[in-house]
Amino acid sequence: MSVTDREAGPPAQSEASRTPSETPGLSLVPYGQGRIRGLDAAELGAHGAAMDRLVALGLPVVPGLTVPADASASLCEPDTARSAVDLVEQLSGRRIGDPTRPLLLRLSASAPTEIAGLPPDLACLGVTPGNASDLCAVIGRAEALHEVWAATVRMIAEYALDVPGAVLDDALLDTPEPRERVEALLALVAQHGSGPFPDDPAQQLALAARALLGRWDSPRARRSRRAQRLPADLAVALHVQALRIGPADHSGHGTAVSRHPETGRLSPQGSFFRGVRRSAPPPHTGEPLEGLAGGTALLEHSLLTLERHLHAPVSVEFEVRDDEISLLAASAQLRPPLRASVCLAADLARDGALGREQAVRRITPAQVQELLHPQLRLTGGEELLVKGLPASPGAATGAVALSSERALELAADGTRVVLVAAETNPADVPGMLASVAVLTGSGGIASHAAVVARGAGKPAVCGAEGLRVDRSAGTVRIGDRVLREGDTVSLDGRTGAVYAGTLSVSVAGPPPELSTLLQWADGIRRLGVRVNADTAAEVSTAVALGAEGVGLCRTEHQFLGERLPLIRRVILAADPTARDEALLALEHAQHEDFRALLAAVGNRPVTVRLLDAPLHEFLPAPGEALDAAEEQRAAALREANPMLGLRGVRLALLHERLYPAQAEALFTAWADVAATGVRPELEVMIPLVSLPEELAAAAAYVRGAADAVAARTGVEVPYRLGTMIETPRAALLAGELAEHAEFFSFGTNDLTQLTYGFSRDDVERQVLANYQERGFLTASPFARLDPHGVGSLIDLAAQRARSVRPGIKLGVCGEHGGDPESIAFCDDLGLDYVSCSAHRVPVARMAAAHSALRERRDESGSTR
Amino acid sequence: MQSAAVDLPDAPDETLTEAVVDLVLRGMWRGRPESEHRPLVDAGLAMVKGPVVLPTERAKATASRILRVAAGSEQEERITAAYEAFLPVNRKIRDVCTAWQCRPDGTVNDHTDSGYDAGVRESLEDVHEAIQPVLRRLERVLAGSGRYLTALEEALDHFDEGSLEWLASPLCDSYHTVWMRLHQELLLVLGISRAQDEAREEELVTRSRD
Repeated sequence: MSVTDREAGPPAQSEASRTPSETPGLSLVPYGQGRIRGLDAAELGAHGAAMDRLVALGLPVVPGLTVPADASASLCEPDTARSAVDLVEQLSGRRIGDPTRPLLLRLSASAPTEIAGLPPDLACLGVTPGNASDLCAVIGRAEALHEVWAATVRMIAEYALDVPGAVLDDALLDTPEPRERVEALLALVAQHGSGPFPDDPAQQLALAARALLGRWDSPRARRSRRAQRLPADLAVALHVQALRIGPADHSGHGTAVSRHPETGRLSPQGSFFRGVRRSAPPPHTGEPLEGLAGGTALLEHSLLTLERHLHAPVSVEFEVRDDEISLLAASAQLRPPLRASVCLAADLARDGALGREQAVRRITPAQVQELLHPQLRLTGGEELLVKGLPASPGAATGAVALSSERALELAADGTRVVLVAAETNPADVPGMLASVAVLTGSGGIASHAAVVARGAGKPAVCGAEGLRVDRSAGTVRIGDRVLREGDTVSLDGRTGAVYAGTLSVSVAGPPPELSTLLQWADGIRRLGVRVNADTAAEVSTAVALGAEGVGLCRTEHQFLGERLPLIRRVILAADPTARDEALLALEHAQHEDFRALLAAVGNRPVTVRLLDAPLHEFLPAPGEALDAAEEQRAAALREANPMLGLRGVRLALLHERLYPAQAEALFTAWADVAATGVRPELEVMIPLVSLPEELAAAAAYVRGAADAVAARTGVEVPYRLGTMIETPRAALLAGELAEHAEFFSFGTNDLTQLTYGFSRDDVERQVLANYQERGFLTASPFARLDPHGVGSLIDLAAQRARSVRPGIKLGVCGEHGGDPESIAFCDDLGLDYVSCSAHRVPVARMAAAHSALRERRDESGSTR
Repeated sequence: MQSAAVDLPDAPDETLTEAVVDLVLRGMWRGRPESEHRPLVDAGLAMVKGPVVLPTERAKATASRILRVAAGSEQEERITAAYEAFLPVNRKIRDVCTAWQCRPDGTVNDHTDSGYDAGVRESLEDVHEAIQPVLRRLERVLAGSGRYLTALEEALDHFDEGSLEWLASPLCDSYHTVWMRLHQELLLVLGISRAQDEAREEELVTRSRD
């Protein structure tokens, strides 16, 4: 157990009862004794408070003391500094200058909370030109000590002895070797300093305190406080820590975090460095924790204890002395990896340390989205070309281009390009900007190429070894494979994997611990979550992601592609016979589609929207009709504004066989699927309704189709009939529409366009950015539901509909169904469900749970 | 740069010399009037690809020749010293940009954590403090290099005023964009390849290993 515990006792308490700074040394608080003296982070600084906590948890800490914030200037007085030296010597059982068991001091500062912009630590006080060689002999290495010593002298020279910074900078540039640096800096102090650089450790400590506080008062530090909105006169506590010097083989320092960044599981991760502690050890000099001669058991115990105490993934710094670990610092990780946070929340709730609601509250919908990043869909048959460094997240697939020139040419034709370069320089930047992803043979995750790729939001893999570009031949060799410009590759900027050919990019499934949290979220939320899905495959994906049903199945695709000639014949038919033949063929094709869809849906609800495409999508391009007569009929049907023209229910009322044919195909498919024991809850939806009469007429078609199917198959298909609410008039006449509808689905994309009078593509290109800059809009109304305009229409429609039909089912099926703020709004209106694209389903589940939890908190708040 | 224009094959005029060097160091021009790039295109030194103007291979070779200082000269030695002081800071600025764009776990930094961002700003201040003496020295031995410090400070000003793209965006003369240009000029001036550059940087950064 640490030395500090032995020091805790009655003498400290009696000291605390006296006024600080009455006598030198009274303002010194050994680690672990702050609480006893009634001090907290405001006086002890975040570091002092953390060390107090470590001692209280029974964890081993390095000996040291705090000079509280209100008394920190007293350490600049030699008497107080002397007392501090004596106290740390006493706490550590060592003496500065002892050649066999040497001791140095480390001075640092901390504010009441974790902030940026604190002065750097002064890491080795007590070294003198006279004892340096003894110290190096004990350590067995010389360079690190001189490096740290030089940094300490540099700071003290500028901030406590008034040597001009530029003079010191020049000396450092001229003398790269650490030992010579110390000599050069000490010579400059002798020449320019306001006083000599002392050998006495207490005098060094007093000057170091003055330097730290001077640095804290510098323009740069003040600027930093302003940027962080911290008080200009914020006071810092100072800490004097023992730096116990030992042989490099058995001593050092290291850092560790409690959880694995990839899996999030509890498993200490970090590294340690032999020799003298440095704030920024040179890269590649760390050793894995497994290399600790004394084992990692104590470290694991410390991390687990801290996690349970702080309810957060934690990080620690530790010292190794004689192969034993003691803690230098510990805190909750400021930005823990997401997987770590999610795993910890699930772990804590499983252990009963947290309630499930609290666990769910800890993970935001945005974090769920972050965890479900797009990735390459792997089936096992892919050809892995190379594995490089994951330099910029995201997955992409595209044609290889080996120069900026070629990348720009291909991209101009609309080709998706992956820029491949052995090394990158500024000439590659235009190519990177034109590409969907970047692959380089050299450079790391902090290379210029990686910085540029991330700056441009492109996935990138860097440092792919063995990549050889031959620009003149137009080829690149990756491993054993030779690819030509134009060949396709796929890459994943999170894993660094590069594959040959085109792979599909899809959303990752939730990791197991997130699935657990989402299940708990399902138990909390009131609002249902469905998916917008058109095909059986999409439905299966969404069900796996937790969708409770299909909120919108668009049937447009059933008429496009190879079926386009059929619907064209329906619309442009010269005579009724041709029309009926085409309709029959269409009905057959749709029947197959519906059967697959309904089988995938299972016993869940599914809302099928009858045809809503604008007429122009079905017309042949000018000059491409079969004959002159058809050309003429097509020309007569072309519209000035197809999105507001013959579309949705309007088309169905002019082409009266369309909806009956669709509905009959749907009901027959239901009867087929029901015969296998599956009973989807069918909801048939009429689009783009503005008049109650339109809905009544369309409803009659659907009823007729159900009767026809019942007559033919003997199966009475159970279904509900409802309508989209996507025009302001429909919202205003919700009461009248509800007389014909058993459910409403708010199509918020169209409702937003028509409420604002915005044509989405046009305003997104020209208007929205400007409006957001002016502050007219805080977000695009197409991304976040406008609560004042569109939202009030929904609110009003819901009220009017419920007054006519109290149990009417209400949902939202625009893109807003996947946006957390819009989801909370829908929840507040008491809608039954939101429906969103498959990859947003987990986000929506979490958002709906957070909305419910917020309401619960509000309610419990108001009852108090 | 004095003797260089003579090496330019077709057009030994100074404007063209400056232009080709600028184009190569920037990697591209966007939104420049045709009057500026037309002479380069005519001289076979630039090509127009849609909205951007790119240097040709010939332009790159020409710029290298123009910029290269005499091998073995005292000037080369002094610039090399500055370059070697530049390299460790070059590693740091890329780490700073990386930290600004990505959190330590590799996820995108969405700038919602002001504490984290403030920490990155601090390390940017460290970089800027460290590069100033290096650039002051470079200016004494490489004509025109003083413009880099000016441009870096302009980028910092924009950044401090809240335009966050001025740290690492490739779409403006951000701190990183200017830095990359400086780096490229040093490589061409000293005739150092990217591979040699990477190796030297690694060596200097990891030199102290005990």
